Amino acid sequence: MSDGVPPAPLNPSTLPDNDNVPGNHYAYCVKLDGQLFMQTGRMIAYYPAPHSQGIRFEPLTTANLTGMVAARFSAPLYTRDWVVATGSGHLILGDRGYDINSYDLTDGNLTIRAANLLAFDASLELKQSIVPGFLTLIGTGKFLASSSGPVIFAEPPIRVDPDALVGWADCPSPSHHYDANWMQGFLGAAMGFFGQNSGEERQFDFTGAGTVLLQSSEKAVADPQLLRQLEGQVQTLSVPSLQQLQRTIQQRLAGQQH
Amino acid sequence: MLAEPADDQQGDREREIGSCARIADMQSFRLESPRMLAVDISGDTIRAATGSMVAYTGQVQFKHAGMGGGDGLLAGLKRRATGESLSMMACSGTGTVWFAKDAMDVIIIELAGDTLKAESEQLLALSDKLTTDVAFAGLRGMSSGQGLFTTSVTGYGTVALLSAGGPPIALEVTPQYPLVVDKDAYIASRGQLNQTVVTDVSWRNLIGESSGEAFSLRFDGHGVVYIQPEER
Repeated sequence: MSDGVPPAPLNPSTLPDNDNVPGNHYAYCVKLDGQLFMQTGRMIAYYPAPHSQGIRFEPLTTANLTGMVAARFSAPLYTRDWVVATGSGHLILGDRGYDINSYDLTDGNLTIRAANLLAFDASLELKQSIVPGFLTLIGTGKFLASSSGPVIFAEPPIRVDPDALVGWADCPSPSHHYDANWMQGFLGAAMGFFGQNSGEERQFDFTGAGTVLLQSSEKAVADPQLLRQLEGQVQTLSVPSLQQLQRTIQQRLAGQQH
Repeated sequence: MLAEPADDQQGDREREIGSCARIADMQSFRLESPRMLAVDISGDTIRAATGSMVAYTGQVQFKHAGMGGGDGLLAGLKRRATGESLSMMACSGTGTVWFAKDAMDVIIIELAGDTLKAESEQLLALSDKLTTDVAFAGLRGMSSGQGLFTTSVTGYGTVALLSAGGPPIALEVTPQYPLVVDKDAYIASRGQLNQTVVTDVSWRNLIGESSGEAFSLRFDGHGVVYIQPEER
């Protein structure tokens, strides 16, 4: 590639079935035959299979999907950011220039940062994790995840930087190692407050048997849903907590003005 | 020169044509790195995206190529009317100039009398024998955005294009294999292609991160379409 010569053109007979586009970590080709959940706006191109209906992209609220969606997708916060691709053909996905990799889950469970989850087979079940900003996949099937740099697999016991964490599989007791109380920690995660100030006060703590997925950059994949989630969380707070939250935000805003 | 269908040697052929053209042409386009273009100019002129020069040696003058991106008043008026903006500067003199933009990958395409249609934002540089114009790319059913007008580049010479988010992907279109491309991932296309707008992708206008346009581009015919891994 470094000579700048355009890559040799690919077509459905030369494109991979379910692998990265050759020479390109940032694009992935799915051989679609059935249904796939995917984030909106991540399709960059597709070849409809010859003599087929083509590929349709439908919101989760589409009437003929609701039964399947209700059974497979229990993450109400995210419904408007996802679509179901239905049909057959070669579907090429890209995610804002992040690395894309596919993973197989066999009768297991895996929790992943919502912004990193790009697509998953309709054979898997998706649930909102009790950890804010994370989603859990359960069952058997394939899913695609994007990451800032290649993904590294680690085994517990391990403490990891929140920004580098992509997800974890089968760990019985992932917990949060905060130096501050829960709410401050949560706001820190939301605003990068601690991360930007002095770095490493806060980690995620993994124990027991399982696998932890890390990305090789501390630059977290941008999560447009974060604000919406925080707003949802605010409703559960008491008046004193809200007042404290207001003070924290004001401090943060004042800090931004310099 | 482009591609009969199912020609797996396309890449090799472009390579050969490229090296021939470089010998014949005084302007030499080469890559300093996958994301930086170097062009040797010797007494002639090339056009490049405004603000994309990162360094130069020798005696080189840079000036704004004018309202039409260097194509005269008529093209300029067309651009103004259609919203397909092309902001180019003319670089002339003798020396070497290095160009880069937003750390995007660069590809170099040789044209031998045929036409390349490109998204104007993805044009990095053109050799001076090429002409550009506004090409109508389909019915405009939606609001704003890049518009459904693209820039056409015609003639004999070299074009450097930008690909955001990673290396570009070349996809072949044949009557057997029509192709649908996200408008925001489209970089360029060449060949005998019929381009239509597909509006069945109705989910793009759901409230989300990008409330972009709810349509894609469908290509039928014979040709090659270049796309990038990141949506604009």
